[in-house]
Amino acid sequence: MFGALKEKLKKWITKNKEGDLDIKGHDEKKVDKSPKKQLSKKKKVKKSKVLEKQKDELEQSLEETINTPSEEKGFFIKFKKRLTEEKFEELFEELEIILLQNNVAYESVESIKKSLAEKLIGKNLKEVDLAEELKNAIESILINPPDFIKTIKDSLEIKSPFVIVFAGINGSGKTTTIAKVANYLQKNKLSVSLAAADTFRAASIEQIQQHADNLKIHLTKKDYGSDPASVGFDAITHAKKNKIDVVLIDTAGRMQNKDTLMKEIEKIVRITKPDMKIFLGESITGNDATEQAKAFNESTDITGIILSKSDIDEKGGTAISVSQATGKPILFLGTGQKYEDLEVFDKKKMIEKLGL
Amino acid sequence: MVLDKLGSALKSGIKKISNAIFVDKKLIDGIIKDIQKSLIEADVNIELVFALSQKIKKLAYDETIKGIDKKEQLVKLIHDEITLLLGKEKQLKLPKKASLMFLGLYGAGKTTTIAKLGFYYAKRGRKVALLGLDTQRPAAMDQLEQLAKQTNLQAFIDKKEKDPLKIIKQYSKDLEKYDLVLIDTAGRDGLNKELIKEIEKLDKRLKPDYRILVMPADVGQTAKTQAEEFQKALSIDGVIVTRMDGTSKGGGALTACAETKAPVFFIGVGEQIHEIETFNPESFIQRLLGMGDLQALLEHVKSATDEKQTKRIEERLQEGKFTLLDLYSQLEQMNKMGSMDKLIGMIPGMSAAKVPKNVLAKQESKMKHWKNAISSMTEDEIENPEILEKQTSRIQRVSKGSGTTTTEIRELLKQYKMLKEMMGMQSGLAEGKIDQKMMQKMAKKFRGKVKF
Repeated sequence: MFGALKEKLKKWITKNKEGDLDIKGHDEKKVDKSPKKQLSKKKKVKKSKVLEKQKDELEQSLEETINTPSEEKGFFIKFKKRLTEEKFEELFEELEIILLQNNVAYESVESIKKSLAEKLIGKNLKEVDLAEELKNAIESILINPPDFIKTIKDSLEIKSPFVIVFAGINGSGKTTTIAKVANYLQKNKLSVSLAAADTFRAASIEQIQQHADNLKIHLTKKDYGSDPASVGFDAITHAKKNKIDVVLIDTAGRMQNKDTLMKEIEKIVRITKPDMKIFLGESITGNDATEQAKAFNESTDITGIILSKSDIDEKGGTAISVSQATGKPILFLGTGQKYEDLEVFDKKKMIEKLGL
Repeated sequence: MVLDKLGSALKSGIKKISNAIFVDKKLIDGIIKDIQKSLIEADVNIELVFALSQKIKKLAYDETIKGIDKKEQLVKLIHDEITLLLGKEKQLKLPKKASLMFLGLYGAGKTTTIAKLGFYYAKRGRKVALLGLDTQRPAAMDQLEQLAKQTNLQAFIDKKEKDPLKIIKQYSKDLEKYDLVLIDTAGRDGLNKELIKEIEKLDKRLKPDYRILVMPADVGQTAKTQAEEFQKALSIDGVIVTRMDGTSKGGGALTACAETKAPVFFIGVGEQIHEIETFNPESFIQRLLGMGDLQALLEHVKSATDEKQTKRIEERLQEGKFTLLDLYSQLEQMNKMGSMDKLIGMIPGMSAAKVPKNVLAKQESKMKHWKNAISSMTEDEIENPEILEKQTSRIQRVSKGSGTTTTEIRELLKQYKMLKEMMGMQSGLAEGKIDQKMMQKMAKKFRGKVKF
């Protein structure tokens, strides 16, 4: 994850540093052209010819816009090497495309743009460290999650059991992720039980039953069509009786625009009073990620996010989108089909991965 | 609705083109930005978005095409290109006996879609069997079994067997009795070589008549890569896009399909078993634009562009004649292009930020008063507003007749004089030859004199 985005961001940063050099003087321009050519050659390997053409045009236009002022206005620019709004727009345009291509939602791109603009416009071009500013912008969006295990253990000293509700749209991977989280908790010496509160989808109960069997933990279940909130309530009662530390409640997938279903999840939250509400999103979701995260955050005030299917794509933009939309931390990333394929989200690591 | 934002962006773009007096760079750039934004928000592949923008620009900047021709061609271009983005319509025409294999990412909705489709075809008289080959996900077989029960279809499953090939062998005789076999496979990542190899093996053994890719509507820029990888491995015959009932715009999935030349046969529009629809890009676009067809769209352009009026103003400008009515109709046509603040934003050197918002609102209400005042004038006064200034009693009469103040009328006259003066410098405007410098010069003059 993030591999592709990292590569592109790096290219953008180095390229625009070269661009800065261009403005400084005419002499350096000749020297400058060769690395640029190499850059486009590198791209040729990766992209098809049609795309290459567009990229070339883009580069050309960028080159032109960088070069023309130095040619036309000559010495005038020497006194005015400050980043103007228009120049910023030009510079950002390409970064915008890179971010969008990597699945960062439009809204989040706009927010990054705004924070960069505030910092950079009017500054002396020489003083501007693009990599640093971009890093700061993304850093301010991503949130470091609190220590998951510690949070639970601290809370257990006051009350027990610790209840976690999982919610998300259909097919996002709630049940699989719950099994992974259960496994993770067990590894950290916490006892776990599950609640099959997805009483709607065909075979959802059988699915979570198999996970419970595999992990040798208790599952509270009822018939299909029964009230999901009551399943959660029963699971908590069972956990209290049997001194189980953590209860994980699986809920049915629901589209965020279905009012009745969103009311249902509100009811589950109201009845079970969870200590943690987790929204499950998919790493492959595009602009809708923002809508989904926002809707679930609004109706249940989520504690954190888990992004599933992070192994599927190199693009990592969804992480930025959901963080920006909710202001809530990403707790884990789902990275595969096995129980161990659950990675604690680490902001520092993520930013390092971006090469910033 | 799916892509509704795109629809409104396109509609407003087309409206702007239709209503504009001159199709200039600023106007086109603004429209392109709007369309770009909505396409990107709908998850349409970025490269496609920029290719489309380039095409629009190329046509719009073409100096050899002018006036109404350019407008028509622009609208046609936008219409055609967007339709192209969504691909051609292709109905799934099944032979008497057919087998369909479904594949796709984890959680895309393969099993649910199979049950829906089974139900859809059973209602249309087919003898349908569902074959479960997802041996990976816990309870996948149970899910298919339960869905089959709900829909009264026959499901062939084996909850214990882990090798899909063995399940195929086990049921191959039974399946011959059915005329439509829908095959469920495990979810897989198109970029995972091992999983792709596995599906290739299944494909070889089963030789399905159709390979159907199932893709969720909210998938983002990943859509293209996934569609391409599956296409490369198996040659996909068609796609079913699921979760079209969410807030996602489906642009990623829909355009990825068009790009990989795999038609979208169906879209899933809900959780219930009957919630599946066929997909027709053409009618989809029509719904999006709220217009019957391209012809109707072009008619709209023609009617919105008052050719006579524009011509009259152009002639007047060239003759140097300019009446209050001309002033008014020009201001009005400018208004049609958008509100005053947008208009001011279009003039370089005169940003809307420099003009307080309530002033702009006032200006718009002033326009209404002016209209009333002009209606109260005699033809002579409209043709030669100078006489109003010479005989101020005329102003008083008009003000009484129209319920406006004399100040307002004087202001109108001032505007008129100023604009007439500007006309002298901008005779080039009529031929669309106006350049940046000229505009700035005009704006300077305009800014200096105009008093809101």
